[in-house]
Amino acid sequence: MAGSLKAPSPPRWLLAELTYSCPLQCPYCSNPLDYTNFSKELNTEEWKRVLKQSREMGAVQLGFSGGEPLVRKDLTELVRYSHDLGYYINLITSGYNMDEARIIELKEAGLDHIQISLQASSKELNDFIAGTESFEHKKIVAKLIKKHGYPMVLCVVLHRENIHQMKDILEMAIELGADFVELANTQYYGWAHHNRDQLMPTQEQLKKAEAIAEEYQKSQAGKMKIYYVIPDYYENRPKACMNGWGTTFLTIAPDGLALPCHSARQLPNFDCPSVRDHSISEIWNESNAFNYFRGDDWMKEPCRSCPEKDKDFGGCHCQAFLLTGDATNADPVCDLSPHHNVVIEAIEQAAAPSEKPLVFRNSKNSKAL
Amino acid sequence: MSLNIEQAFKLSPTYRLQWEEAQNMFVLLYPEGLIELNQSSAEILQVCDGQNTQANIVTLLEKKFSVSGLEGDINNFLNTALGNGWITQSA
Repeated sequence: MAGSLKAPSPPRWLLAELTYSCPLQCPYCSNPLDYTNFSKELNTEEWKRVLKQSREMGAVQLGFSGGEPLVRKDLTELVRYSHDLGYYINLITSGYNMDEARIIELKEAGLDHIQISLQASSKELNDFIAGTESFEHKKIVAKLIKKHGYPMVLCVVLHRENIHQMKDILEMAIELGADFVELANTQYYGWAHHNRDQLMPTQEQLKKAEAIAEEYQKSQAGKMKIYYVIPDYYENRPKACMNGWGTTFLTIAPDGLALPCHSARQLPNFDCPSVRDHSISEIWNESNAFNYFRGDDWMKEPCRSCPEKDKDFGGCHCQAFLLTGDATNADPVCDLSPHHNVVIEAIEQAAAPSEKPLVFRNSKNSKAL
Repeated sequence: MSLNIEQAFKLSPTYRLQWEEAQNMFVLLYPEGLIELNQSSAEILQVCDGQNTQANIVTLLEKKFSVSGLEGDINNFLNTALGNGWITQSA
């Protein structure tokens, strides 16, 4: 294929999902539903090998994520090792069980930035969505993060239950001293896909929320940067997923599976390679999984002849698989896709009142599904 | 935010300028983000060290590359960098 003739651009971003363990139970989690099947986590030495090889390839942005990365006892050791390699290190955390001593310890080890999530602007809703009492503690942690001089991103995942709190969420971000706010509309993968009918906001809710976000983007210019992640089901063109498959991002799952997109392990017969069997260089340059969607030889119509194919690369292949059963189809979010009706139907279905309860992300539910 | 000709420039504390051997270029790193810099942008940011004003930067770079007439390009970049919050000014 065209993409495999020349050497691919090197990875710039490494997302290290250290563990699938998490004290929270958010029903919008993008982790796989069957995460309890992948419990054999990479050990410290295996992670160090991944970090070193990825850095040598060119990765410079590093995210420690999960699950909840604070659960890993060797987190400080991995941060120190990564800092010495020259990474810019982001910790993507719920903040749960974080205390001042750990914030200081991680800073001394070389952690550059902390992204902390809140589930809502009120205690009642935050603790309901998180499935765990955590609101007051998270706010204390956010203030400690700023006290110790970290840049802080406050992340709030938006859905039908909390999107009406947009104004309060932004006021809370100002109060907590966030440098950046990520207002992330739920992306429907993993648990979020399972709970889609209960999570998807209405067009009317979105319009109101977007207007408030825009207003704060203007009034906070130069003080707090506000990123609004669009709800792609309501768009007519797909997102440029992962900045193009195998061009920029490398995700390593807790059990060592190397993924071109953090949802790629759900693609059937895809054989994502493991860092337990291959070097990062072999995985990035030679594996079928990483080469598969490089370039545009894989494309079918309407993508193949589309003038916008270099802009969105056909959208998200994992979403194409989830919604049409074939990852090589155009992302059906695109209104040029012959399968676009499935997105319209999903919106209509979510708008109808549903008695189904949210399914929370925990081991018991994972094993039952 | 507009450029003050009397004040020195420095990199904002949330940004880090770093040489990347694998990419053979300077990059600007910040929370969850990365900007790949061309040579002239990288040259300017390297002298935004808290000591140099706009006039100093022009003099330094024109001398370093033995050219003249860089002021317009340098001003454009400094304004962009200020607007994006990559650099700040202090007395």
